[in-house]
Amino acid sequence: MSDLVGADHIVAGPGAARYVVDSKLARAVVFPGSVEEVSTTMAFASAEGLKVVPRGSGTKMALGGIPDRVDLVVVLSRLNGVVDYEPADMTATFRAGSLLKEAQAVLGRNGQFIGLDPPYADLATLGGILATNSSGPRRLRYGASRDLVIAIRVVHADGKVTKGGAKVVKNVTGYDMNKLYIGSLGTLGIIVEATFRLHPMPAVERTCLASLDSVDAARDVVARILDSPLVPFAVELLNPEASRRVAEQAGLPWPKARCGLAVAIGSIRPEAVDAQLETVRRLCREAGAAEGHVLDGQVHDAFWRATRDFALGDGLQVVLKASVLLTKVADAVRVGEEVAAKQGLRLGVVSEAGSGIIRYHLTGEAASDERFRQGVAEAVNRLRAFAQEAEGNVVVLDAPPEVKSRVDVWGLAEKALPFMRRPKAEFDPQRILNPGRFVGGI
Amino acid sequence: MDKERIARELIGIVGSDGVATDPGELRVYETDGLTIFKAMPDIVVLPRSAEQVAGVVKVCHRERIPFVARGAGTGLSGGALPVDGGILIGLNRMNRVLDIDYENQRAVVEPGLVNVWLTNALAPRGYYYSPDPASQTACSIGGNVAENSGGPRTPKYGVTTNHVLGLEVVLPDGDIVNFGGRTLDPLGYDLTGIFVGSEGTFGIATKVIVRIMRTPEAVKTLMGVFETIEDASNTVSEIVGQGIVPAAIEMMDNNSIQAVEKGVAAGYPLDAVAVLLVEVDGPKEEVEALVGPIIEVCKANHVREVRVAKDENERLLLWKGRKAAFAAMGQISPEYYVQDSVIPRTKLPPVMKLIGELSQKYGLRVANVFHAGDGNLHPLILYNSANEGELRKAEEMGAEIVKACVEMGGSLTGEHGIGLEKRDFMPLMFNDDDLEAMRKIKKVFDPDGLLNPGKIFPAAMRGGEVGPAGQREALDKVLRRA
Repeated sequence: MSDLVGADHIVAGPGAARYVVDSKLARAVVFPGSVEEVSTTMAFASAEGLKVVPRGSGTKMALGGIPDRVDLVVVLSRLNGVVDYEPADMTATFRAGSLLKEAQAVLGRNGQFIGLDPPYADLATLGGILATNSSGPRRLRYGASRDLVIAIRVVHADGKVTKGGAKVVKNVTGYDMNKLYIGSLGTLGIIVEATFRLHPMPAVERTCLASLDSVDAARDVVARILDSPLVPFAVELLNPEASRRVAEQAGLPWPKARCGLAVAIGSIRPEAVDAQLETVRRLCREAGAAEGHVLDGQVHDAFWRATRDFALGDGLQVVLKASVLLTKVADAVRVGEEVAAKQGLRLGVVSEAGSGIIRYHLTGEAASDERFRQGVAEAVNRLRAFAQEAEGNVVVLDAPPEVKSRVDVWGLAEKALPFMRRPKAEFDPQRILNPGRFVGGI
Repeated sequence: MDKERIARELIGIVGSDGVATDPGELRVYETDGLTIFKAMPDIVVLPRSAEQVAGVVKVCHRERIPFVARGAGTGLSGGALPVDGGILIGLNRMNRVLDIDYENQRAVVEPGLVNVWLTNALAPRGYYYSPDPASQTACSIGGNVAENSGGPRTPKYGVTTNHVLGLEVVLPDGDIVNFGGRTLDPLGYDLTGIFVGSEGTFGIATKVIVRIMRTPEAVKTLMGVFETIEDASNTVSEIVGQGIVPAAIEMMDNNSIQAVEKGVAAGYPLDAVAVLLVEVDGPKEEVEALVGPIIEVCKANHVREVRVAKDENERLLLWKGRKAAFAAMGQISPEYYVQDSVIPRTKLPPVMKLIGELSQKYGLRVANVFHAGDGNLHPLILYNSANEGELRKAEEMGAEIVKACVEMGGSLTGEHGIGLEKRDFMPLMFNDDDLEAMRKIKKVFDPDGLLNPGKIFPAAMRGGEVGPAGQREALDKVLRRA
């Protein structure tokens, strides 16, 4: 391995401890500095039958099942920076180890950005965001990774490097390979480069933040906003615990035990933003919500950063993500509160009410406590049953291995599995990449 | 195949009114929107349900008969061209809207549903389905899924793949499977995503779950008349550079204007070098705020005349011209051959210049109608096949345009697909390893290679030659010269 990437770029022994995957220690951690080095590393791993876990900054390493085995962790952080960027074409290509934050800084100089704002957006790498299909509140307006990536470069398990898509915003040449790799948790190949379609940054962004008695009170107002000609870029519903914490971090006063509803509008013209916000405020008033604050400038940004990166503070926590029908979002929040109360868990809920994506943050006793693990398992089962009724799913985004070992972190239905295994069998028949971490133990 | 035995079995599945073997009836299906290719299936089957599709496919699979699915047959790359001696499955009888769920912003439709019918069904409640290919009054949603169709509204709202969330699919072995659903982020690989745009080579979609959207409160369409292509192109870049995301930006050159005005009299000035249509939509205040800056950009780029459609009639007339452009070519030429390459938007002026030079070189007129907002060109090469060798010349000129676009960092096709037409052009963009990865995913869906064979992959990967070779000859000639 030293010959392949240089002795300075390999860590083994105690130094590898911080790259542990679900408490499994790798035999070596490799930091390739180029696409070619990723390729030779994979060719070597394939020839030796070594199991490989790709990694970016490590913000989402807790996602997925406990790996069968970890021989090499391949860290892509050295593979960073812009490959090409033409502002007038509104497309840009970055190496996968680039931080989203750094990419946004480069694009921001031209008033442009990648329409992604996933959790830990200041730390996460582009490759990690794509591999895990991580998204945030802005998804309502800008879509998810699948809507924003127009070309991709991948290193396969055997070391072959291939590309898909094209560096133009519209293209149907050949199969849409981008879709295959996005969200595949590195089980089909390691993403090494991605080209994005960019958006102009709205010159003005403001948010109406209203407080409500309960999530049930939000149901009607959210439905009316979504059924109106308004074009918000985010509609977020927060339970009282999450509202309190986010308000605190953004420096806003917040009434006790109230749910928060945040509706964000952006435009190149302030008058267009204000006109829409006025309609939002009217709809909130009519639904019996307290007169909403209008957030602007730094407070606005602080509020959305706190919402995006929401966490319950210190201590071990478990994060679940549910996807449900829009009409079931309020119920999904309520069911979460019920099951958390029953299991004696503290719960913060941040939900993208316009997209049907809900994040549940659970804490309680220490993770070693049997009752916490039992409670989380109960919560996963209850929420999964609800989400499946609502045509969706529940995924464990973040949990310690002791919790993961007793729940199915994905919950893919048995009947969908045989077909789901086929791409893996074609692209990585030796199961070199991330074995055991994806759906159904793929 | 034992045509009579197979036909009898198929009649048992779909009924006698759903099976055609008579050459007169089959002729309707011998070509799609790209009429330079023709092939005759032995049997055409018209199922009415997913179960019937699965039954028909099982027969094909058991008997190892190659088969092709077809929607409305409006495709422009030969994607729905049948296999000589194979079976063609026409889906136009499966044309129902199965469910509209406004609160969850979803609709479930059958593949044979005509694109615009969905929007027509949604309009009374103030909703619509966004992808709007120019052929939307004829093309089917199933065909749109196969081709990942675009249309003028893609700069702001994206293409078919951005609006399809789930599918029911009959696989080439006759199994019925479901990918995705009405909610976002389905578990596992994004099989819906990889299926959309697979050009009918992965399976037959029998149900399509789409996103429906609230109709914008306000829409404004502007027409800018320009003296040079360059001014019009710069206008496009500067509008976008101001942070404005128009729903559509379309450009037409003088030959197109001539044809359109003779055809539908949309009100484009006959002496204009280029006409630009810019449409903005959204909340009323937002749209009003955008019109001024767009007019300013046009003026800064020497627009001769800029007109905002004053009412819905005028707006629709401006669009009628654009949407009828292909059909109107008959006014100025007996035939046309259209390319669909995409270029980075900044490369518009040099590519337009090159197309002008090629037009001179080959002695063939070209009418340009294109989606300027996303750099998707549609050069319509005008020819008359009654003149000896003119079709070949048109193909060769098309190959030169495509090659130049790829060299400028673009793509072979933006929305029409590879199909049979551009399969031999694939190596211009993808090397053997890239294509091998695509072949692997094809194998995931169709290990026996029975569904829509001979499409997408270049000769070396097809094994055996299928279908006509005109395009490859044209490309070979162009490459040899280079």
